[in-house]
Amino acid sequence: MTFSSIIVIGFFGSSVLIALVVGLIHSKALARILTIGYTLLHLAFTAFSWLHLNETVLDYFTFDPLGVLLLSVLSLLTVTTVYHGFIYVKDAKPRIYTIYHAALIALIAAMSGAYLANGMTTVWIFVEATTLAVAALIYHDRTSVALEATWKYVFVCSIGIALAYLGILFLGFTVHDARLLHLSFSSIIDIARMANPLYLKIAFVLVLVGYSTKMGLFPMHTVTVDAHTVAPPPISAFISTTLMNVGFLAIFRIYALFSATTVLPFMSHVLILSGSLSLLVSAGYMLKAKHNKRMLAYSSLENMGIVAIALGIGGIGYYAAILHIVLHSLTKAGLFYQIGISYKVMGTYDLDQSGNYMTLYPAGATALLLGFLCITAIPPSGMFLSELYLLKAMVHSGNWILLTYTALMLCFVIYALLIRVLHIVYSKPREKPLHEPQPVNPWQTLTQYLLFGMVIFICFVQPAPFREVLESIVQTLPK
Amino acid sequence: MNLLLVIAFAITLIYLSMTERFPIYAGLIALQGVFLFALSFLELDTITLGTLLFVAIETLVFKVIIVPYMLFRIIRKTGETRVHDKALPAFYGLLFVTVGLLLSIVISFSLSTTTSTIVYFIVAFFAVYTGLFIIISHRKIFSHLVGFLILENAVLLLSMAIGSEMPMLINIGILLDIFVSVLILGIFAMRMKQHTGELTMLKDD
Repeated sequence: MTFSSIIVIGFFGSSVLIALVVGLIHSKALARILTIGYTLLHLAFTAFSWLHLNETVLDYFTFDPLGVLLLSVLSLLTVTTVYHGFIYVKDAKPRIYTIYHAALIALIAAMSGAYLANGMTTVWIFVEATTLAVAALIYHDRTSVALEATWKYVFVCSIGIALAYLGILFLGFTVHDARLLHLSFSSIIDIARMANPLYLKIAFVLVLVGYSTKMGLFPMHTVTVDAHTVAPPPISAFISTTLMNVGFLAIFRIYALFSATTVLPFMSHVLILSGSLSLLVSAGYMLKAKHNKRMLAYSSLENMGIVAIALGIGGIGYYAAILHIVLHSLTKAGLFYQIGISYKVMGTYDLDQSGNYMTLYPAGATALLLGFLCITAIPPSGMFLSELYLLKAMVHSGNWILLTYTALMLCFVIYALLIRVLHIVYSKPREKPLHEPQPVNPWQTLTQYLLFGMVIFICFVQPAPFREVLESIVQTLPK
Repeated sequence: MNLLLVIAFAITLIYLSMTERFPIYAGLIALQGVFLFALSFLELDTITLGTLLFVAIETLVFKVIIVPYMLFRIIRKTGETRVHDKALPAFYGLLFVTVGLLLSIVISFSLSTTTSTIVYFIVAFFAVYTGLFIIISHRKIFSHLVGFLILENAVLLLSMAIGSEMPMLINIGILLDIFVSVLILGIFAMRMKQHTGELTMLKDD
């Protein structure tokens, strides 16, 4: 057994052990210490992954650039999510407090496994594990609405996962030997080249629809929107970023696997269609959104639509897709943390009851405005670059109709977000909030400023190592 | 024998699409479990004690005993015994599944598989269609749960068409699915009744 194998087994073994100890011993102090310890362990594991880039461990895991990049985003957001989680659940009963942290640790471990998985079935198992872990977190508030959202999430995700599994089975038919299914992605590439294209097309569509429940793409987007609405804000930040990245990665793996075959144009068309419909739905629903978290949830749908279109367009669009998914993660997490804080300050998530945020909490209102600039890709947001690359890819490929359509939908989205954010920040509330506002420490906004700062930094400087990693990811795809 | 079992499985699907009483739903799910156990048992070329044990646990214990027990328990606890008043009438249900069966036959033949697997394909596609049809056309949570279990059975049926030696990893995946359906869906389905039998609270306005 190699050193890397010991580390990987040690990491996942520790994850299970820590989650069990935290979940079974209802001590808030112990849960806090172990969660901090686990966060440090995750950071160390991510550093280890960078040091062993492109190494395959135990056949089931690989430290490929995309997996490790998304693992790093997860590691960074784990620090901020754990911090905001401590604040969110500080008054909870010990049992609820420990279940929250046990499920959070399980979720982080499952997402890490999905990022580093080296086979279709391994990804699938970890994706299923994320569903179980996140269900406990969505249900955290134990309200009837939380129950409904959790039910919908578990149910639709289970259907999605079953469909994805059917896709894997179809791939099994193409390789004519199910024993190959748990082997590395690289071994399946050669087999896919010789496979019946019809099987590959069916497998891709099933996998896309199945994992769309995680990525939050049309047509399975509703479940994540409801989950965002109800989940604690730090968890919404996770669902909207790192968990969506899990879905993206699963779809991207299949796309990359089949991209050397004749089904590439078909896959591109399906992705563009799914992305375009996601944009349409998000633009439509954002114009009528009356719930601050739902507004952000539809924004996530819009951004996943952009990513799907970018992937479908190809060329520089691949680079745009990866850059966009990383920057969206940082921005959206910051926005969800801020919306969580705004709930305390204004006592509501209802748009009509929100307002005067600049007067009530200037540090938060400024962060919200900054987050708005970042998420709508207005310079100096780094997301401006990824969307610019996408539009450039569309021009290069001569997709003028798609370009016009995308620009139009983005205008609707920016308009919908702008009037809502400005209302929250500057207008008087239209209705009286149901809950009494609570005082909030301005230091809680620090994480958002740091995350938005990183997104803005990328607009001006893309450090060479970061650019090289992105380039190494897209170089495996056809030009 | 295998062909007979697969066709019997398909007949349960037609019955499921028409029936309106929940106890019959639960009984038919148990019956499907029996057929799947018999099929997986007959499909295994070289059977070792370990494989037999795993298949028995997977199909006989979970699909025939635990899942139907959970379904009957949900019926008892919730007191819900029939589909929603506004559910699609049985006649239209039959029409829709007939179209689904025809579609499954067309798709299966267009995939040009071997004659030994084509029946599995047809019935598995038909099961996917019926599962999704029940989920979409019914409003009560119990019906959704049954639709999901049919979908799970379709997955197992299709995995049998791959070959007699299913890798352990796929079996673990199926077990994890069963874990989700029994524990999470079972627990949540019972809790949901305390509030509502339908899903109506989360919407955009």
